[in-house]
Amino acid sequence: MLKPITLHQAGSQVTEELRACIGCNECLLACPALTEPITIDVLNMQTFSEPISSPVARFARSCYQCGACVDPCPVGLHRDAMMMWLKVRLLRSGQGK
Amino acid sequence: MSISQRNWKRVQYEKGYPWLFFYAGRAWGIGLLVTIIVVGVAGAFYMWYWQSGNDAAPDSIAGYGYAIAGTLCFLLAATLYTARRHSNKRTMGRLNTALNWHVFFAIMGTVFVFMHSFGNFYAKTGTYALYGLVALLVSGFVGRILDHLVPRLIAGEVDTILSTQGEDRIESISRNLMPGDRNDPRGRQEHAFEADGQGMSTPWDMAYVSLESTSREIAHHHKGGDFTYVSQSHKLHDTHDPLRTGMLAHPGELMSQVEDTVVELHLVQGAIRREQFYRYVIRYWRLLHIALALLAVGLIIWHLVYVAQLLIPTVFHRA
Repeated sequence: MLKPITLHQAGSQVTEELRACIGCNECLLACPALTEPITIDVLNMQTFSEPISSPVARFARSCYQCGACVDPCPVGLHRDAMMMWLKVRLLRSGQGK
Repeated sequence: MSISQRNWKRVQYEKGYPWLFFYAGRAWGIGLLVTIIVVGVAGAFYMWYWQSGNDAAPDSIAGYGYAIAGTLCFLLAATLYTARRHSNKRTMGRLNTALNWHVFFAIMGTVFVFMHSFGNFYAKTGTYALYGLVALLVSGFVGRILDHLVPRLIAGEVDTILSTQGEDRIESISRNLMPGDRNDPRGRQEHAFEADGQGMSTPWDMAYVSLESTSREIAHHHKGGDFTYVSQSHKLHDTHDPLRTGMLAHPGELMSQVEDTVVELHLVQGAIRREQFYRYVIRYWRLLHIALALLAVGLIIWHLVYVAQLLIPTVFHRA
């Protein structure tokens, strides 16, 4: 049985999930889009607020929202939604928003 | 390059999300090089074999060789990525490398199968199996293109759905429609999300429950034992009363505001529908690829059974 499609999350929900992340790296280990090692703390920081470094930006653009990162999370977080938030931040930064 | 918390500030920062981007890592380069060499060597042998007057047929020695090589490549393409995905020895980036090899083995396998045919495309089992493999390869390539473009489309829709502060626009529109809450600073603060990260308005503790009163409070006006629900707007001395603020004195202005709100709501709802559709495209294209893989396996088995029916009597007759 296929799981229902999860849509985007609002910023406040993403913030709560980022705070709840225990940093186990399971999501990154399960990711088929990740080409270079990135630490979860850097990814979390840049997802939320900091300027986006080149490796994190490359990872965010390469992420194709397959959802492989969601099932391995031991605390049930939605890394795909966080990556979408990062994508939107990248998009808006390019538009000067 | 690994970025640790210590040195990440030294790395370059990036902005923007272009439609077309391509990141070729070292593993991708090695895979491409190996594919070019293998296909090049196989192609050179094919040309030599064809021009030297040998028996250029699918059931020749070279034909069987290409068939075996193609089958091995497809087996590797099918099993390598799945095995790596379920392996306990996982490191970051290895799944991506396995995915690259999945693509390269599929390309090599298809080229070998084309060479195995030696240009014989009669309406027989082998040709149907070849068509199945080509359809599988094409679906894989289209899938990779969709994987690049569709998340960018989703990001564009989410950009419409969320406000600049990261708030759900439907929620903010709905809140604006409620007269009492329109200028409630507390309501806005609860949903505030600073895009530049300067302010994290909600506490880190997930179990935190605010003891502050919400925008709509239940006041215990004990009038004859009844509990009366009192809106925040009533507490603000009816400052948003349309009759007092003059909103009904200018109905045209009010109507244009309502129309703007309805247009905005339609815009956001359309974006949500498109986001959902794009997510279904990503999911179901993957399922289509798996279905085509199963179809191709079925056609190959049919072809192998057909070939076995031809070969086994010949072999036993010779023996």
